[in-house]
Amino acid sequence: MADKDAYVNDGGDKVQVSSTSASNEDGLKLIRDAARSLPPDAVKNLLSNGVCGRCIFWLFSIHQHLLPCPSISSSALSAILRESAETEGGVADHPNNLDSVKELEEVEVCKICLGIMQFVYCDAKEMLAKKGSAIDFATTIADVVKLEGHQIESFSLELSLPPIIVDNEESIWSYMKKTYESKPWYREQFPSQRITIKDFLRLSLTNPLEMLLDVKSNPSSFHIRLTYKLSDASPNEQLISKGNECNKRRKIDENDDLKKHGNVEGHEFRKRSSNELGDNKFGGLTFPLEKVSRCCSLIIQCYRTSIYIGGRYLKYSRKVSQTRWIIDDERMGEASVEEIVGGTILPICQGDSYKFHAAGREDIDVRMLGTGRPFLVEIQNARQVLSEVLIKDIEKKINSTETKYVRVKNLKEFGSQGWALMREGESEKQKQYVAVVWISRPLDDNNVQTVSSLKDIQILQKTPVRVLHRRSSLVREKIIHWMKIERIAGSSQYFLLHLCTQAGTYIKEFVHGDLGRTHPSIGSILGCRAEILQLDVTDVKMDSFQS
Amino acid sequence: MTEQNTTKSHKNPEIPDQETLHPGTEQNPMIENKQGGGGEEEEEELKRLLVPNVEDLPLSPPSAIESNFTTYFLTDFLYPGNDQYVHRHANGLCIIGLAPYHVAFKDELGISKVSFDVGKTDRSTIKVTGKRKKVMCFLKFVECCVKGSLLEVNERLIEHPQLLNSSANREGYIAIIMPKPQDWLKAKALMLSFEEYQKLRETC
Repeated sequence: MADKDAYVNDGGDKVQVSSTSASNEDGLKLIRDAARSLPPDAVKNLLSNGVCGRCIFWLFSIHQHLLPCPSISSSALSAILRESAETEGGVADHPNNLDSVKELEEVEVCKICLGIMQFVYCDAKEMLAKKGSAIDFATTIADVVKLEGHQIESFSLELSLPPIIVDNEESIWSYMKKTYESKPWYREQFPSQRITIKDFLRLSLTNPLEMLLDVKSNPSSFHIRLTYKLSDASPNEQLISKGNECNKRRKIDENDDLKKHGNVEGHEFRKRSSNELGDNKFGGLTFPLEKVSRCCSLIIQCYRTSIYIGGRYLKYSRKVSQTRWIIDDERMGEASVEEIVGGTILPICQGDSYKFHAAGREDIDVRMLGTGRPFLVEIQNARQVLSEVLIKDIEKKINSTETKYVRVKNLKEFGSQGWALMREGESEKQKQYVAVVWISRPLDDNNVQTVSSLKDIQILQKTPVRVLHRRSSLVREKIIHWMKIERIAGSSQYFLLHLCTQAGTYIKEFVHGDLGRTHPSIGSILGCRAEILQLDVTDVKMDSFQS
Repeated sequence: MTEQNTTKSHKNPEIPDQETLHPGTEQNPMIENKQGGGGEEEEEELKRLLVPNVEDLPLSPPSAIESNFTTYFLTDFLYPGNDQYVHRHANGLCIIGLAPYHVAFKDELGISKVSFDVGKTDRSTIKVTGKRKKVMCFLKFVECCVKGSLLEVNERLIEHPQLLNSSANREGYIAIIMPKPQDWLKAKALMLSFEEYQKLRETC
């Protein structure tokens, strides 16, 4: 095509800037116009000192013109700036500016952004990557996302830049103010409020990514994280960290000099007024700048933050433990609730790993019946988004396992508040049990009456012998809220004991007395020896996990 | 507690969409419903699971001690008549007490006083740390037949010395000790089962 606007003089070679679409041409025109509006001396000075095109646009707060043209390359942008500065330029009036005579070099790595806004970086394989345009860079990122196989509805872009970038931002503002404050164009063209380079990067990538991934950017559970790190310390960085000791490396010239005063600061989003800089401490770059040898390294990651699925489980087997229980490579029990439930959910969500949490636990030989026990499964980096249909599927799958050890109900997705809900229920609530009890003499009706009449009795339990090896020896006060004896037809010495107790009560010990270390006990209350044959949990009261 | 096979087969009803669950149209009785409708079937199911089969129940079940501990006996430890038992738990803890033929029981009136004084210090007030401790019982000087760290002495014996007479092998235990594995093996080598102990003592 013959349109001259599509080409740019870049040190003698014609560089094609963009494709032939009309909107791109408009965008390009806007960029050229914006470039021409800049003071040529300042632009030439910045370019010769190794500041990249995008950083120049950012510095003068005209970066928004770049956004509609994501395909424009860094080198083309620099060329446009150079061209407009030269055609406008008259005599340079900056005493130390020798740019009009000196040959302009292509900026390898920008002094301010260290290549970040040039989309130049060392990738994970330590190869130099030059993604000239925003769209090319975004494509690389989108490819990583697609490779991971996440099903996404939105994304959140997380950026981590080396702290030195903020120092560079402040230094260049300060330099510009000092150098050009007196110029007529300063107030108008050099606004006091500006965004950070981090936010500029975010702006540059958001729309292209939205387009490539076909979803919107918002506070999402799906994170795309770009982590930039310095490859090795550049000479400038060494200057900054050493502070005033490096005087001999600086030119003592009023106009060019910057003194280093302060500390490295964090890189949160902020808008700074250049008026403030005089009063604050800031890091310093010196002009003319040392050449930055290496760009940053970049790691592109994407992951979904943990999702939480919970409900209540029932355990029908006396040979299944709640959690994985393996001693010396040997599994204790036949299976675990954790593995049955978590192990079913994980592949359906296509996650990396899972964590299982329940509100309390029962022994391997105790069944969990009735309302069931609240539990929460955390799935890390799920590729599959949860939906009602999917949750139904999960519930169905767990409940139709051949062995029928475990069932789940009221399955639903929780937000991150799920943990808080679990914690809250664990230690405070009441639990209900049924035990099969044997006593050493026949039961009589008085016993049934006595037991039913006891309400909210306090018992003292020393740490049961069966756990004394791993728990400290304590005496715990517990409350038995109520009890009820249900006779078993055909037996005079066996009966069902229904009881409701405070969380944390050792039920077995309450029945057999643990050699007198739990007092009172059923045996002591009935005045005979009592033994427990089997125990079932029938209710774990916790409101948030009801249907 | 005895092991019972409770993995019964039970029907697995279709689980309807949680969102459209209404009290009146409840189809799945296993899902808990706050309003209580449909809960009856669930209660029936629960009841069925809870009540044991009477035929399966043993006439006299094993005690908690029999189920969870292994009991050993040692005769004449350090001096004649100092017969002791050890209930050893799978977790390594040893409950020690006076065996049925201990000389202290020879007194027809039974044991009337227990104190844990040894010299200057009253063992019951000392915190549980340390190595081998000596325990005195009545007039006799009873040393625990297993070496280990003392976790607990049975302070109830002070108020209720009759426990030694009525249930020396349960509520009347003397102390709980955690021996080191090698110390336990050494002690165990000298010990007898109940049958062996019984046989030995009855022939005297």
